[in-house]
Amino acid sequence: MLRLALADLWHERVLFLCSALGCAAVLAPLIVLFGLRQGVVAGLRAELLEDPRAREIVSVVNRTLEPALFERLAADPRIAFVVPRTRALSATIVLENPERQGNGIRVELLPTAQDDPVLPGLSVLDQDELVLSATALQRLGLSVGDRVMASVARSRGREREVLTLPMRVGGVAPLAAAARDAAFATVPVLLLAEDFLDGTAPADARPASEAEARRRPFAGFRLHAARLEDVPALDREFRLAGIEVASRAEAVAGLLRLDRNLALLFVAIAGAGGAGYLVSLGVGLWAQVERKRRDLALLSLLGLKRRALLAMPLIQAAAVALAGAALAFGIAAAVATVLNRAFAGTVTGDRPVCLLNAFMAAGAAGVTLAGALVASLLAGLRAAAVAPAEGLAEG
Amino acid sequence: MTVLLSLRGLHKAYRGDAAPFALDVPAFDLAEGEALALAGPSGSGKSTLLMMLALATPPDAAEEFTFAGQDITRHWRAGRRDALAELRARCIGVVPQTGGLLPFLTVEGNIALTQRIADRPDAARVRALADELGIRAQLGKRPAALSVGQRQRVSIARALAHRPSLVLADEPTASVHPELADAVLALLKRECAAAGAALLVATHDPDRAARAGYPVLVCETHAPGADGIARSVFARAPLAEAA
Ligand SMILES: Nc1ncnc2c1ncn2[C@@H]1O[C@H](COP(=O)(O)OP(=O)(O)OP(=O)(O)O)[C@@H](O)[C@H]1O
Ligand SMILES: [Mg+2]
Repeated sequence: MLRLALADLWHERVLFLCSALGCAAVLAPLIVLFGLRQGVVAGLRAELLEDPRAREIVSVVNRTLEPALFERLAADPRIAFVVPRTRALSATIVLENPERQGNGIRVELLPTAQDDPVLPGLSVLDQDELVLSATALQRLGLSVGDRVMASVARSRGREREVLTLPMRVGGVAPLAAAARDAAFATVPVLLLAEDFLDGTAPADARPASEAEARRRPFAGFRLHAARLEDVPALDREFRLAGIEVASRAEAVAGLLRLDRNLALLFVAIAGAGGAGYLVSLGVGLWAQVERKRRDLALLSLLGLKRRALLAMPLIQAAAVALAGAALAFGIAAAVATVLNRAFAGTVTGDRPVCLLNAFMAAGAAGVTLAGALVASLLAGLRAAAVAPAEGLAEG
Repeated sequence: MTVLLSLRGLHKAYRGDAAPFALDVPAFDLAEGEALALAGPSGSGKSTLLMMLALATPPDAAEEFTFAGQDITRHWRAGRRDALAELRARCIGVVPQTGGLLPFLTVEGNIALTQRIADRPDAARVRALADELGIRAQLGKRPAALSVGQRQRVSIARALAHRPSLVLADEPTASVHPELADAVLALLKRECAAAGAALLVATHDPDRAARAGYPVLVCETHAPGADGIARSVFARAPLAEAA
């Protein structure tokens, strides 16, 4: 049966090519459109994702946030990372290279914890380690692994007291993490600095354990949402709870809106185009089966069983559909290459504006195949119903 | 003589508004290997009868319809289309009026088609038939490249390729010129005899069939009577009585 069906196709290869081309002509623009949507959205999304700050939400007003709140935040599946912070005022520290005494610089002290998205690749930080911004590191003349003296000073009456902590440089923070001179330290270190400035810790105090530190209330937090999509909702929830936060919720919401609108636009165009496509495909195949009716009647008269008889239009339809889909994807890929070259570096940075992948190719082929099989099955059933009586006299 | 085909009280009617038509076959037997021509004027129901014998259309009613030992009426009543197709594929060869070749297959492919459907491939027989019918040189060609007479011969070869027990030919000479018509009828008879297949040929020309050596069964036609139905009767003395 397969040989018979393919022999027929080969015999009428010009017609076959026309059908496949007709199929491809309608399908190719749809694939390009889909690729554009994928490319534009994926490009913008990647741009946002690349920047760890995109998923960041920071509380901006100092409050007294109880440990229970942090426990709740840590348990929220939408939150990938959360670290408490102390009051902004207290969060500065003086760093000094022990080899170059007297050349200390004042840097911002920022909290961090295990698996901080802002500090990729620096998963575990010891209590005596600091992650420095590249600028601070350079100004101090230090490199990773070197010793560094961290100190905080307070005035008690006329007396000046200094808390000095011997630390090590645990790593370099990427530019995205800190634009200014900054040092990342574990939460107990920040807490100690704050306590010392508040006068509740002596000059020879040392950082508490992480667990101990986490039992205290904090002034604020920095967190990272698990997914970009979660940022707007989390942002809204904090504001509703009376916690002032800063985030890129606006930009993220804009992207999500664009994604939705493009999806809607695509559904509208693809719906109209796709329906038209399936109709034209179906009509073409139906006509093909009608044309083949005499041959089918003859084959039936010669004793071919109904199932085998139906296989013939089905195999041919499948061949047309697959050839058409392959052709369409080829055309779409060519168009995509041209588009990507033309729009290089404009709409979506260095990313392609039109993104095609194997998954889409399979999808296009699948839809086409399904439509083709349904159309030719219906036509074939009709043709098989009149056979075989037509075969003898006219044949 | 073994009976291959046996009809009793078969009836078929077309009830159109314009020209209602009824066909009756009170008794009709055909022995294995026997050749017979069915003659009658145009519209007398020759094609209709052949179509029923080809198991392609069901009779309206039949007291008995046995072919190759199988009860055809029962198959139709039970809707066993695949069983009928199987029987068509294994036991029947047809020669349509204008050949009925598939344009997308070569002559060889067309002849081998019945073998393939019946699942009895036999390339040697295809070549032997082609030799016999003088179309050996055409085996690689497409039907479009053949003359009408050559096409008719390909069709005959195809009808015999799978060794059927019955060959049905509907006006096989209608589209060839008279000289060729005699040759085609003679060829059909000779090949069927050689293959041991029974042969039924429908023709509107009983003289030509008789000249070619066929026994002829002429149809009895009755013009529309009071009920406006044109009737045709094909009656043949049962074999048992004749013997
Ligand atoms: N499918 C059909 N539907 C309705 N009437 C039909 C059908 N097929 C044949 N008839 C009628 O049955 C009658 C017999 O037709 P049939 O084709 O069997 O005659 P025939 O003897 O083969 O004629 P011819 O020599 O012209 O081929 C005609 O009156 C025809 O109009
Ligand atoms: Mg006829």
